Amino acid sequence: MTRLREALDDIAGEAPMVSLPDLADLAVAGHRRRRRVTTALAVVATVVALGAGSATVALTGLGGDHTAAPQRVDTVPDLPEGRVGPLSHAYQTGCKVDERRRPDCSATEWRVVTRTGTTYRVPQALIRNVKERRVPVSISRDGRMLAYYSRQAQAHVVRDLTSGSVVTSPVTVKEERIGTGSMLVVSDDGRYVVFDPREGTKEPGLLIDMRTGKTVSIPGEFEAVSVRGGVAELVRYIKTDLWLMPVTGGGTPVRFDGVFIMFSELAPDGRTVAAFEIQGDDERVLTLLDARTGRTLRRVITRGLPKDGGVLNTALWLSGSEVTLVSQDKGAVRAYAVNVTTGQARQVARYSNKLPGLTLPGAVSSGY
Amino acid sequence: MDSHDGFREFVLARQQALMRTAYLLTGDAHLAEDLLQSVLIKVVGQWPKLSRGGNPEAYTRKALVNQYISWRRRPRPELPSADPPEHGASYDGAALDRILLRQALAKLTPKQRAVIVLRFWADLTETQTAEALGCSVGTVKSQAHHALARLRMLAPELAYLLSDSEIEEAAR
Repeated sequence: MTRLREALDDIAGEAPMVSLPDLADLAVAGHRRRRRVTTALAVVATVVALGAGSATVALTGLGGDHTAAPQRVDTVPDLPEGRVGPLSHAYQTGCKVDERRRPDCSATEWRVVTRTGTTYRVPQALIRNVKERRVPVSISRDGRMLAYYSRQAQAHVVRDLTSGSVVTSPVTVKEERIGTGSMLVVSDDGRYVVFDPREGTKEPGLLIDMRTGKTVSIPGEFEAVSVRGGVAELVRYIKTDLWLMPVTGGGTPVRFDGVFIMFSELAPDGRTVAAFEIQGDDERVLTLLDARTGRTLRRVITRGLPKDGGVLNTALWLSGSEVTLVSQDKGAVRAYAVNVTTGQARQVARYSNKLPGLTLPGAVSSGY
Repeated sequence: MDSHDGFREFVLARQQALMRTAYLLTGDAHLAEDLLQSVLIKVVGQWPKLSRGGNPEAYTRKALVNQYISWRRRPRPELPSADPPEHGASYDGAALDRILLRQALAKLTPKQRAVIVLRFWADLTETQTAEALGCSVGTVKSQAHHALARLRMLAPELAYLLSDSEIEEAAR
């Protein structure tokens, strides 16, 4: 046995013990459910296309402590029609285990939590597709728009939570197209949705104009970070390229000198983005990049982040000098505002780290 | 007795070994569970074929690797399950090496990491590794070479782990 194998074996020894009640039964149940749904869909194919509309909304930010225990399952109401108020986050419910210790995932669903702390079920938002792929939802930067995929419509839907309007995309997307790690982004006004069927593959994504039904194909190697002000921010991770693509198409990617991940949206100056350099040994060093020229503007050593955690993503700019960053540690998922001049981080929101599929406003949602 | 009993027996016998492979690939307990679950759903669909003279273990391993590479197309940070050593804390050498190796593995490309796991932990031959990855033997050789070089660069302290003759040959 080589010493490398011994060391790898030590790491493998830290693998979790299989704790699922019955892994085999879970797989069999998943397989049967997939077959059942496929059969049902072959019989009933209902496509509903409603008229389109849009809304203009004002920006607000992340905030608050959202780690309190969720409402009891039997008291959680469905998301009502009409005005509800902006959202703080969305999450998925977990599988149940019956008395014979068999897992039952048929009742899992998306839930949303408003900024005032009320939780609602969103049964109309598909959580897993016929191929058992997780289906994401997306919340706009200001929490006012919720985008999800509707099985009934076989299309994306945007719900305005402040006006109550619901717009179903005139563009149908077959459920089977939603693959592993599919992604969804919705613009602040709810007019545009970017759907990436399978993140990180050559399968093209789609920018959908919810009002007109016009679509712009996005090359598969690019992933959307945001859609804002008529511009979709797209990143190709391998090189790394950033493409500020007008929602009608066009524009040219800019290449950065280095490999970067976890891109923020565009700063209020319209040209700066924050990202982490993947080759860097220290993930606490944030790099500010010029989205027009590709030049590195500044490297900022962040301070005040939990030592036992890891950065999950960068996200919104709260002002010209503060960008938010989402981090996860053993205790919670936290959003921090980082001053890009001093690097000092201050916590602006906290979420339980026991919420599957936690989706935050303005952060790209992925079906992992 | 139903048509899935053979599958259940297979999972019962091999689930922890498969979990270890999934964990070495992902470096994350939750992702490893997710990976294994989603792959087993595929395996049960193929079980009638696999039980008639197929190789369930090889098929499952291949599916694990492919699914993992697919998931990892976008780099994402890995949360170490062991805390990084703090200044002044006392750790034995093996524990420190494990932490360093985990950190270095997290910085490999998905394919490089898969090659390290399959070739140097699962002890697959280059041909078997190529089969699992769906690539040529030449690609396995070059991926192994690059992966080992990168491990040396990322964690020079672990050079002794990579100095066995078998490893050095693969690194050439």
